[in-house]
Amino acid sequence: MTTAAPAAVLTPAEMAIGTPLPSRRQEDWKWTDLRRRIETPYERAAAVADAARVAKLIAADPLAKLPLRRVVFVNGVLDRTHSDLAGLTLTTGAPDLTEDEPLATMNATLADAAVTLAISGAADRPLHLMFLTLADTPAAVGARVHVSVADGAALHLIESHRGVGQYLANPALSLALGKGAAVNRAKLELEDAAATHLAIADMTLAAHAVLRDFTLTSGAALNRQNGRVTFAGEGADARVTGAYLLGGSQHADTRLVVDHQVPRCVSREVFKCVMDGAARGVFQGKVIVARDAQKTDGKQSSHALLLSEQAEFDAKPELEIYADDVVCGHGATSGDLDHDHMFYLMSRGIPHDEAKAMLIAAFVGEVFDGVDHEGLKGVLTAFAENWLATHTR
Amino acid sequence: MADQDTIDLVKDIDVDKYKYGFTTDIEQEFAPRGLSEEVIRFISAKKNEPDWMLDWRLHAYRRWLDMVEPTWAKVSYPPIDFQSLYYYAAPKNVAGPKSLDEVDPKLLETYAKLGIPLKEQEILAGVRKQGEKSHLEEEGGTSMPVAVDAVFDSVSVVTTFKEELKKAGVIFCSISEALRDHPDLVKKYLGSVVPQGDNFYAALNAAVFSDGSFVYVPPNTRCPMELSTYFRINAKNTGQFERTLIIADKGSYVSYLEGCTAPTREETQLHAAVVELIALEGAEIKYSTVQNWYPGDKDGKGGVYNFVTKRGDCREAHAKISWTQVETGSAITWKYPSCILRGDHARGEFYSIAISNGRQQVDSGTKMIHLGKHTSSRIISKGIAAGHSDNTYRGLVSAHRKALHARNFTQCDSLLIGDKCGAHTVPYLEAKTSTAQFEHEATTSKISDDQMFYVMSRGLSEEEAVALIVNGFVRDVLQQLPMEFMAETQKLIGISLEGSVG
Repeated sequence: MTTAAPAAVLTPAEMAIGTPLPSRRQEDWKWTDLRRRIETPYERAAAVADAARVAKLIAADPLAKLPLRRVVFVNGVLDRTHSDLAGLTLTTGAPDLTEDEPLATMNATLADAAVTLAISGAADRPLHLMFLTLADTPAAVGARVHVSVADGAALHLIESHRGVGQYLANPALSLALGKGAAVNRAKLELEDAAATHLAIADMTLAAHAVLRDFTLTSGAALNRQNGRVTFAGEGADARVTGAYLLGGSQHADTRLVVDHQVPRCVSREVFKCVMDGAARGVFQGKVIVARDAQKTDGKQSSHALLLSEQAEFDAKPELEIYADDVVCGHGATSGDLDHDHMFYLMSRGIPHDEAKAMLIAAFVGEVFDGVDHEGLKGVLTAFAENWLATHTR
Repeated sequence: MADQDTIDLVKDIDVDKYKYGFTTDIEQEFAPRGLSEEVIRFISAKKNEPDWMLDWRLHAYRRWLDMVEPTWAKVSYPPIDFQSLYYYAAPKNVAGPKSLDEVDPKLLETYAKLGIPLKEQEILAGVRKQGEKSHLEEEGGTSMPVAVDAVFDSVSVVTTFKEELKKAGVIFCSISEALRDHPDLVKKYLGSVVPQGDNFYAALNAAVFSDGSFVYVPPNTRCPMELSTYFRINAKNTGQFERTLIIADKGSYVSYLEGCTAPTREETQLHAAVVELIALEGAEIKYSTVQNWYPGDKDGKGGVYNFVTKRGDCREAHAKISWTQVETGSAITWKYPSCILRGDHARGEFYSIAISNGRQQVDSGTKMIHLGKHTSSRIISKGIAAGHSDNTYRGLVSAHRKALHARNFTQCDSLLIGDKCGAHTVPYLEAKTSTAQFEHEATTSKISDDQMFYVMSRGLSEEEAVALIVNGFVRDVLQQLPMEFMAETQKLIGISLEGSVG
């Protein structure tokens, strides 16, 4: 694959952030042209001194009432006052990200307070990484967190991303699962409507590790998430799912690479994307099966539901396979609500809006149901219901 | 019957793997080596072309000079030296033969050796005994007439059945003849689907194309027979740049077959063709290709670089274009037969079998561009990778804002034989309207041990078993081929996969 050389002349936005931005001339960015889309010169964010403001924002978190161990990052920096760090193994610094790509370069520039969390045994409470951004003037924020889960350990990891103002958030999370480790990860992207969210999730699985991953994408004007699952040990199993609930002129693009480097691993990806208004959803999935990764079982699917005529969905579900004894497949669909289904429900006396909401809820239900935490599931369902109420009229 | 097939198959394999690897020594006329405006003027003058045609070529050449070779395909090869090629090579003394009698007997021998498809070759070799029963018709059917245009290196050598076609009003001739006899049609449609500056190889083709086939089917006419073209690269160090233009006027139907072979050579050969199809209101074009260019030897030496631009334009309502391709040859294939579904209710179809073995690299697929309302398309692609080959499906399905109720179904399946090959799928979906319904599914797998066991327990060898299972795998596409091609293609699949097991 060719990557066009970055243009020699930096735009004002690029100069402010300090790295060149990828453009549509680069294959991975053909539907999300950051160079053209990011015009605001975001200045590096200042530290937030106002603790009361932070506390107020924490209290407003939809997950605030759940019994979680909270670790708060404000403008990319660990906020020790509001975090529950007792008994947690925390060090500074983090290993390099697997892939050297434009968002990683950006993160290296923006994030200067990397943190590593080491988890061993079975955690007592789910770990909640709360990323908050407060921007009074357009600000760029980078966060870098590495979570290493020891052999045989189990962890519920919940991430939420929120903020106030016009900002560019560039969080990079890496997650290393030890042998036989089990991680349930859920990410809620609920950024400010004026925000740009450019995230990395870099996950590596050792032998027999099990990963369950879910991402809700509903905030930010512009969203790009680069996910990567690397199978480094045999017999590991990963299920990566996602839901988009987008409206207005939101733009969300997920690039998910599942890299089978070793034999006998199982991967499943399911993405359900709902786009209303003039929103645009993009899903670029790639399953790579290396020469030696025999007996790989990989399946990928992305489904889009377009609720308005201006909505748009682009998909590129790729397979790159070098081993012969594998079962791999992908499916992608795009369409509007099934008129027969609507007719069926309405003929049974269900009003139009309600019928529409039921069908959308059923559409995204498949991925919501995979979330293995009752409290979190309740929060997600309530969020979805609220979203549907405003988008089904 | 089946036993005989098997014996024949094995014989074919034993003699030599690529049986079209011969060269024919006949006198040839070349343009000076390399590419320049002079060479283009030389080609144009050789063909007595009108001035506008020369300008058209020169415009393309100037565009080409500013373009860079595309590198996005998943293929790798050493850089091509475009100045070391001959851009024009023509058999001498064959300026417009009226019948086969005037053709160099050596050429006829060549056709006799071109075994694909056998029935066409028979008809081509024996125009005089048309109507006689072919020995291939064991079931007792009557021989179906097929009109053939043969392109030898750069020049169309012979076109058969012209008179019969003329009665129906169908024009089927070489593009040079069309330029002479039907300049208005050529001027109106040439480059209207694939413009001169469309891409690097299309621009090169537009500058130097020396011949190709031209078909015009008048309104409300069903072309009375299959039309067919053979392409053959013979001379050393020549590129072949033919250009095919097919126009189906309102309410007409035409089915067109294309076959290609090349001699075995150590150097690589370049084939950069352009095919343009235009279907007007209610017309249907069915375009079938069996591509069997020389694939290079087992270490990847030599072979044809097949860099082809094929595109059909369903220009008016209810038009239909269907591409069927069987790709077994070429060292590198870079080919995306596409449909622009411009008219309302237009339909595009793409059926493909791509088999790669040895060191072959295939990057092929299609584009279905939905512009009109209620347009529909269907893509069935079967890729089979064996040996050290790489086989990529790359396709685009897009529905524009105004393509209300566009509909697409895509299925691409890959089969891997051996653990040294690669199969890749790179589909692009772009839905810009909610009323578009797109479905895409793809699978990759190997031939299961159960299937092999079942077939081999019935007495078939491993190689025969693979050929049988693969034939089943590609059945959906085979059925789209004209009858004449089906049997041949099944054999070809067996031959292409030779050496892939064990």
